[in-house]
Amino acid sequence: MSPLDDLFRRVPALLMARRNLSRNRIRTSLAVLGIIIGVLAIASLGMFGTTLRAGATQQLGDIGNEISISPNLQEGVEELTDRDVDQIRRAVTDGSVVPVRSETLRVGRGDRQTVATVYGMENPGAIYEAEDGRVPDRLRKDALVGSGTATLLDVEPGNTISVDGRTYRVSAVLAQQQGLSLVNPNNAVVVPLDDVNGTGYSQVVVNAESGQAANESAVAIRESLNDREERVSVFELQTITSGINQFFGILNTFLIGIGSISLVVAGVSILNVMLMSTIERRQEIGVLRAVGVQRGDVVRMILAEAGLLGVTGGLIGAVLAVGAGVVLNAVVLNDPLSTFQAANFVYIFLAVVFGVGTSVLSGLYPAWKAANERPVEALRK
Amino acid sequence: MSNIIELRDVWKRYDTGGEVVEALKDVHFHAEPGEFVSVMGPSGSGKSTMLNVLGLLDTPSEGTVLLDGQDVTDLSDREMTTQRKRFIGFIFQSFHLIPTLSALENVEVPTLFGDDPTARDRATELLERVGLGDRLDHRPDQLSGGQKQRVAIARALINEPQILLADEPTGNLDQETGRSVLDLFDEIRREDDVAVIAVTHDPQLSNYTDRTVELIDGRIQ
Ligand SMILES: Nc1ncnc2c1ncn2[C@@H]1O[C@H](COP(=O)(O)OP(=O)(O)O)[C@@H](O)[C@H]1O
Ligand SMILES: [Mg+2]
Repeated sequence: MSPLDDLFRRVPALLMARRNLSRNRIRTSLAVLGIIIGVLAIASLGMFGTTLRAGATQQLGDIGNEISISPNLQEGVEELTDRDVDQIRRAVTDGSVVPVRSETLRVGRGDRQTVATVYGMENPGAIYEAEDGRVPDRLRKDALVGSGTATLLDVEPGNTISVDGRTYRVSAVLAQQQGLSLVNPNNAVVVPLDDVNGTGYSQVVVNAESGQAANESAVAIRESLNDREERVSVFELQTITSGINQFFGILNTFLIGIGSISLVVAGVSILNVMLMSTIERRQEIGVLRAVGVQRGDVVRMILAEAGLLGVTGGLIGAVLAVGAGVVLNAVVLNDPLSTFQAANFVYIFLAVVFGVGTSVLSGLYPAWKAANERPVEALRK
Repeated sequence: MSNIIELRDVWKRYDTGGEVVEALKDVHFHAEPGEFVSVMGPSGSGKSTMLNVLGLLDTPSEGTVLLDGQDVTDLSDREMTTQRKRFIGFIFQSFHLIPTLSALENVEVPTLFGDDPTARDRATELLERVGLGDRLDHRPDQLSGGQKQRVAIARALINEPQILLADEPTGNLDQETGRSVLDLFDEIRREDDVAVIAVTHDPQLSNYTDRTVELIDGRIQ
């Protein structure tokens, strides 16, 4: 005896349900199709949200760890002083502090000339990486060139460039920064701090060990520097990322809500199908009752039918949803395997549970109605 | 011998929107194990109603139903269903087999919901007994009228009932087939000591029965 036969013998309601569903295959298929669409809609819209979020985070890069402190121009603070930087260093427990001075200057190599942002930094290694060459721990006399400027001027490490008349040897071309950045190096040149005019700093960048450390540092810096007056403004990129996360959370809920509507429609169609089939089978159910089948067993039988519709639709919908997720992730993220992550399985699981739940719920009324029909009435023609 | 089923002072009234129909009027009836009783009467005289009351499918408006000496008039739906399953087998004019189930499964239906490991063997034996040993896996639409009624009889016997109720069992069969069904009833009541109560218009039936009860306008004559 096959395991399925065994199951049917043990749960007769399932056997009856399966036979009943095979009676009108088109009607059954349409009811299942409704559930498939509903489950597919919920699961794939949920996964769509995950993919969008992943895409957006990829665009933003790993920026949650950085904060930027700049002078509060509205309060008349033009630049940050050494004292400010000291205070920031004391406030930051876990991370590196990079004071920045910036100017816009002429940069050239041979005939090629351009105007670029020039950052003065002591320790650019804390926030930049080299694509080619080496970023020194302390920048004393060389220059670092952003990838955009390097292409423009055709620069490689070892070349010399001129910045506002001064000559520098280039020790590294910086890696292109994909995401959002507080001090974007792509179209800039980085030179030693003292080579940029001025005594103060236009901003201080803090690169913390983690998002949480960045957040704690920001709080400490505000406390210490903005104690009396709003001297500095502290900008956390994390607020952007968490805002984005929040936005996608809302978007996801919204998408799943839309998906749920289709499941409700599927539920109504199951209600309709089950009601029709129990009305058609009125006499049969009357016979069952006459030969000693209890009301409860009739209810179980019809709920099993609804449940089978839901499970079948749910499983097919889940498989299709995985397929849709693979396609979506291949197109948007270029990474089909990112479909197989926990968040997506949660959506698929929820969608299937909703699908089965909707079906069984829709079967309740027909089941109740069929079980409460008096057999004498059902058997009268 | 004591009665397996008995009706005492049974009245059945239907309230059909203001007008009350009295389908059974002061009916007294009884049957003993192994007895074959036929119920005859014109259409609308209350034969089916009486059979339904006897079969615990319906409750009388007034009066008492005794099953195996016990008052079963006021049982709950659940208890009545249990008693039906234990004591009573039904056979209907239009067979009422379940079209999606095989002959064997149809015979098993009354045992389906409940743990009954020997049901399949009993069903097979019964089908062999009614001459359908080679039709076990046939669906109802692959069977003739007489064969369907035999499946229905096997179904009625699966729980070894003490009473067999048949509402015009030969009504949809030709004379020849009808006779073979009646022979089967005769065999059952003799061999298994089952009381058979059959509603019928079939004049052949009087050759088989111990007793005929005539109902006219809800009253036993
Ligand atoms: N559920 C019901 N509601 C109203 N009247 C009914 C109902 N069942 C039976 N009757 C009436 O009771 C009478 C007896 O019916 P029935 O027992 O079916 O007669 P028979 O089987 O002898 O033809 C008829 O007049 C019928 O119209
Ligand atoms: Mg009748």
